[in-house]
Order: sequence, then structure tokens, then C-alpha cells
Amino acid sequence: MAEIVIDSLYKKYKPGLLKKPVQAVDGLSLKVPAGTVYGLVGPNGAGKSTTIRMLLNLIRPDRGEVRIDAQQVISGGFLHQVGYLPENPYLYDHLSLRELLRFAGQACDMSAQQIRERIETLTHQTGISHALKRRLRTFSKGMRQRAGLCFALLHDPQLVVLDEPMSGLDPLGRKMVCELILDLKHQGKTVFFCSHILSDTERLCDRIAILHHGRLVREFEADDLRAFRNKERSLEDEFVAAVGGGN
Amino acid sequence: MLKRVGALAVVTCKEGIRDRSLFGILLFALFVLGLNVAVAGFFMRDLGKVTVDMNLAALSFAGLLLVFFIGINLMAKDIDKKTIHLVLSKPFSRGEYIYGKYLGLVLLVVCTLALLLVFSTTTVAGVNAMYPEYFGGFSWSVYFWAVAFIGVQLALLCAIVVFFSAITTSSFITLVFSVATYLVGVSIEEVLFYLKSQAAAGEVAASETLRAVLEIVAWLVPNFSAFDLKTEAAHGLALEPVRLLTSAGYGLGYVLILLWLATLIFRRREFN
Repeated sequence: MAEIVIDSLYKKYKPGLLKKPVQAVDGLSLKVPAGTVYGLVGPNGAGKSTTIRMLLNLIRPDRGEVRIDAQQVISGGFLHQVGYLPENPYLYDHLSLRELLRFAGQACDMSAQQIRERIETLTHQTGISHALKRRLRTFSKGMRQRAGLCFALLHDPQLVVLDEPMSGLDPLGRKMVCELILDLKHQGKTVFFCSHILSDTERLCDRIAILHHGRLVREFEADDLRAFRNKERSLEDEFVAAVGGGN
Repeated sequence: MLKRVGALAVVTCKEGIRDRSLFGILLFALFVLGLNVAVAGFFMRDLGKVTVDMNLAALSFAGLLLVFFIGINLMAKDIDKKTIHLVLSKPFSRGEYIYGKYLGLVLLVVCTLALLLVFSTTTVAGVNAMYPEYFGGFSWSVYFWAVAFIGVQLALLCAIVVFFSAITTSSFITLVFSVATYLVGVSIEEVLFYLKSQAAAGEVAASETLRAVLEIVAWLVPNFSAFDLKTEAAHGLALEPVRLLTSAGYGLGYVLILLWLATLIFRRREFN
């Protein structure tokens, strides 16, 4: 079980000498309780991916901090319990799927037996077990996404961070990812993901936050989500209202 | 830690070996080696020397192409295409990433050189069998030492590539800096020697400032001519163990310093 606490996070990008700095994340604070599925939605450039990258210590905040199970991510000791799928993952083209997943297992200090078992389970679950010997360069976008998911989940992490997990997937693929996320939830894992697909987010999440211009503008909890699912309210309307029609 | 570094090294090496550009480089080297056999009969004298020179030059040039074009790509592509996000989301420290990538590049160089050495040995042995009178002073052991030191030179070049990849954001800049460092490293000894000898003879009026700058550059940039044993191999000259040890230690020292600096810088780097 892993809990995420994001506390007053700020991040400004400096695109170039003569260009204006961009405030990607602007005082973001949120808490993801252990064992929940938390969805982060927002228009393009809202700061979702930047937040995820700070969560993984790929970039550092200007101010504020991110903690996983009370441990600051800057210490780096949390990665054994995190699985991450970036948006449009670019995998090692010349490796076969089996080689890529074996690498993921070795990187996490798993035994050869554990790696073999997890590869069988995950590739079966994601429907790409037939492609284990194929080079990744021959994979379609959807298959790459599935391979990326297997890479993220191979070491059975407690916290799963997914950046646009439905991106590039056909309806069957989307259904598979949804089932996978629900399965992770039933196993008590914490799932933190961002997506543009509101219907999936609404269906899967225990909590949803809307991010706009790097700020948390709305957060929905169990009661709101129940209302969305019962069609009493619409997440889409709330989203449009929160981001001001995209302005 | 070793398991992770080893796993990344193997993955890096496999990516390099399966890169199609490698076949182009290998074909080019084989063409030069084949050319050597074809034109050997045209040389009226010093045929043995020309053969050894040509073989070592082909191995060295193929190695340079390998490091500059495939090696840089292997490190920079990870950053450009954001594969590094996937790798660093696993329990890799930044230092482990740098050492894993470096060892992968060195492994790729060793595998390629080993393959080329088989062909090169066959070529030299073939020409030797055809024209034994020109190979009087030839020594296989000196030849193999010369190839081994091409390996040391390329290993140092790999460290330079890793260092520049760690501090720059573009593979092109890494390529420019690495090639420039190599060219300066290859020629700095000769430039300094020329300046000193000409100044001593009163033919060139080199300013003290220029000489001081060049001395500093000579300290900063690795002296690649320390690893060049082509002359010894071509003439079958005996090699002093002290020289071999000193040159290998010099190369290793530079590699360790460059990797240490690369790790320091890489730890502070952000990956957007």
C-alpha cells in the first residue's frame, strides 16, 4: 500500500533565453490515499505530466515536496514500489518483448523464476503473449502501450503511475486497460493516472482532480462520482465549467 | 547494483549489435581488409609494414565510426525519445545508469573489434603466407597489443561520449564535442612538439600565452597518441611493459574521471 502526498508544488520551465518562462505547476497540493485509484484530468498543458515526472523524481520542483509513504521522492528509495507507464512509451526497438521484460525484472532484482512467471501472467493478461519473441520495432502503437504496461507492472509494484494509459488503444485495448486498473484496485494497489478520456476516468476512479494552468481547480470524491455514474451530474460539464471552456 | 548495471549494459550492447548501421561499418572494414589483400602485390617494398598499417587503420576507423555514430545514438536516443523515463522509473540510480550505458558501449566495441580482429588476422596471415620475405620483423604479439590499445582508445572515447551526452541536450552537440575532443587529443602532442622544436630553432615565434594555453589543453584533453602502437606493430619493435602499463593506466584514469564527472552532472539533470 502506498500513499502519495503532494504539498504546495511549484515548477516553472524556462524554454529558452528569449522565451517567457512557463509556470507548469502552480502550488499544487493533493493527497492520494493508499489503495485508491486517483485520476488527474485537465486540458493539454495543464501540468499533469509535469506532476507525474516530479512524482518520479525525473524533474525537481522549484518549491514544495512530494512524499510517497511519508518518504520524500528526492531520496529515490521509493522506486522499488513504483511502476510507471509514460505517454507514448518509446521502448528499445531492437529488443524482443521477452528481452525487454527480462531487463525490467533484472532491474528490480527479481529472480529468473519470478521474472518468467510474471512475464507469462502479464503478457497473457494484456493479450500480447504471442509476440514475446518479436522485436519491439515491429509493434503497433497499441501493442507498444501494452508492452509498456507489462514493463511497468512486472515487479508487482504497490503504486502504479500511468500517463495517458488509453492513448493509442482500440476499444478492446481500452477495455483491457480498464480491467487491469480495476484488478490493481482489487489487489489494494494505489493507481495514479492522468487521462483525457473522461468516461473511463469517471468509471475507474475513487477520486478525480481537475488540473488547469498547473492548479488544482476541482476535486471530486465518492459522492460526486456516484452522482456522475447515476447520470445526475456530468463530469464533462463539470470539466468544461472548471477550465472555463478551455480558456 | 551490479545486476542492474549488467542488465543495462547487455541491453545497450544488444541494441547496438542489432543496429543496421553496424553492418555498414563492418562491411566498410571488410572492404578495406579485402582491398589490402588485392593491392598487396602492387607494393614493391615494405609490403608487411603497409599491410599491418592498413589493417590497424581499418580497425581503428571502424571503431571510431562505431562510437561516433552508433555509440552516441545509443546514449542520446534514450534521452531524446524519453526511454530514459522508463529506465529511471526502475530502481536505477543516475550513477548506475551512466555506468551501465558505458559498459554497454564498451561491450559493443569489444564484440565488434573481436569480430574484425578475426578477419584482420586472416588477412595479415594470408598476405604473410603469400609474401613471407616482407614479414621478417613482424610479431603477432605486438600486433595484438596494438589492437588491444585501439580497444583502450575506443573505451576512452566511449567515456567521452557518455560524458558529453550527460551534459548536453542534443546528440548533434555530443557528436561535435566528441569528435573535436578526439581530433585535439590525437594531434595535441605533435602540435606541442612542433611548437617547442620550432621555437627552440628560432623558426617560429610562439607566444608564451599560446604555449601555456596549449599546455593546459594537453592536460585537459586525453592524449590519444599514447595508445597508438601502429609504428611498433608495423616495424615489429619490442614493447616495453612499463609503457603498456602506463598507457593503460592513463586511459583507465581518464575513463574513471570522466564517468565520475558525468555521474555528478547527471544526478542534477532533469528529464522533461
